[in-house]
Amino acid sequence: MIRHHPDENLLLEYASGSLARGPSLVVAAHVQMCADCRSQLSTLNNLGGSLLNGSPAQPLQANAFERLMERISQIPEKIIHKSEDTPTPVPVGREPAMDHLPKVLNKLLASNPNRRWKTLTRNLQMCRLKSGQRDYEVAFHCLRSGSGLPKHDHRGQEFALVLHGSFSDHNGIYGRGDFVLREPGQVHRPIATQDMDCLCFSAVAAPVSLTGIRGLFLNPLIPFRPG
Amino acid sequence: MAHKLRHNGNGIAVKASQDYKDDWSRLLTQVGAQRDRQAFERVFRHFAPLIKGFHHSRSTQALNAEAADELVQEVMLKVWHKAPCFDQGKASASTWIFTIMRNCRIDMLRRSQRHQNRDSDVDVADIWDENLENQPLLFLQHKRNERDIADGLNALPAEQSHILEKAYMEGKSHSEISEELRLPLGTVKSRVRLAMKKLQARFVR
Ligand SMILES: [Zn+2]
Repeated sequence: MIRHHPDENLLLEYASGSLARGPSLVVAAHVQMCADCRSQLSTLNNLGGSLLNGSPAQPLQANAFERLMERISQIPEKIIHKSEDTPTPVPVGREPAMDHLPKVLNKLLASNPNRRWKTLTRNLQMCRLKSGQRDYEVAFHCLRSGSGLPKHDHRGQEFALVLHGSFSDHNGIYGRGDFVLREPGQVHRPIATQDMDCLCFSAVAAPVSLTGIRGLFLNPLIPFRPG
Repeated sequence: MAHKLRHNGNGIAVKASQDYKDDWSRLLTQVGAQRDRQAFERVFRHFAPLIKGFHHSRSTQALNAEAADELVQEVMLKVWHKAPCFDQGKASASTWIFTIMRNCRIDMLRRSQRHQNRDSDVDVADIWDENLENQPLLFLQHKRNERDIADGLNALPAEQSHILEKAYMEGKSHSEISEELRLPLGTVKSRVRLAMKKLQARFVR
């Protein structure tokens, strides 16, 4: 059961199109896993539809329709399939459990055929993904079962989604489908639960700084590389 | 079609509920299934001026007139090509066209930011779904939800509906709205939440 969701404000920014591409990827993936948020989103889309219905009609340029039909007649009719199935991406090398991903993440994986997993610490692996933007670092993280991350805080907002396994920190337990938002300055120390490795997808706005003595060793290993 | 408009204090008019007898969803389905150009022309003549007004009118200056006309062309081109995907069990015509329009605007903005690293096979429509998988509702239920939301919008205090309009029509984030209106971010957020609560209370029964 999903217990942690993006709040209404974030969903509204996503629905109205002002949320940046990085965090929107995380929200989209959550929405594809979460029926409650899908229903909220459909209300937010309805609101957009109502505002469109009520907007003051403005006269168009002369021949706007004819101009469009001219363009349409020049483009060969594309065959559009009702369900566009994204092929399941072929795993590269040794990869954590990547099945049952929301379709937006399958698409993202398929567009990153040369992705590589890097070992950051004995227990933490990371795989950066190109996502067509520069403001957020978009990546998968895999934390080995039963292990923890050093205490760290975030200098920028972090949007994350649990895809497999679960982790806990002082705020609670997060399992498959749970959405996690960490504000800059919030310090936390996530620990993966005993039985399974924990796979997360995230978009981070600025470097994650590790506090404490281990951070000294870890920080150079995690340069911030948005994309 | 009779246009009975009520103003909610900001110059934005929301159609009163008795005007929801349109059959745009049926026409759009026809455009998709039969590639019916006459049906498409009717859809165009109705929605294209609304799309323009959404972005450029006396009360909204999100885009200048030329950019708004350009957006209209892009949106209606996509509406034509994507009409076979339109499913009136999932959304009404205006809601579906809204999602296409929002995505065109995101695309437009992205293309204008030259420094952005745009190299990605992930399309806007992969991130912002135009055909939200949802519990299929009866056509009438969509109509009712939409009517309830329109009525709800009319009933909102101006300070709340104003913020919703800025978010949707001008595509502004909460923090941009808070800067522009010189309101604390928390106030903007709570007005949005209050507004959504009121809108949802109308049809969560
Ligand atoms: Zn949710």
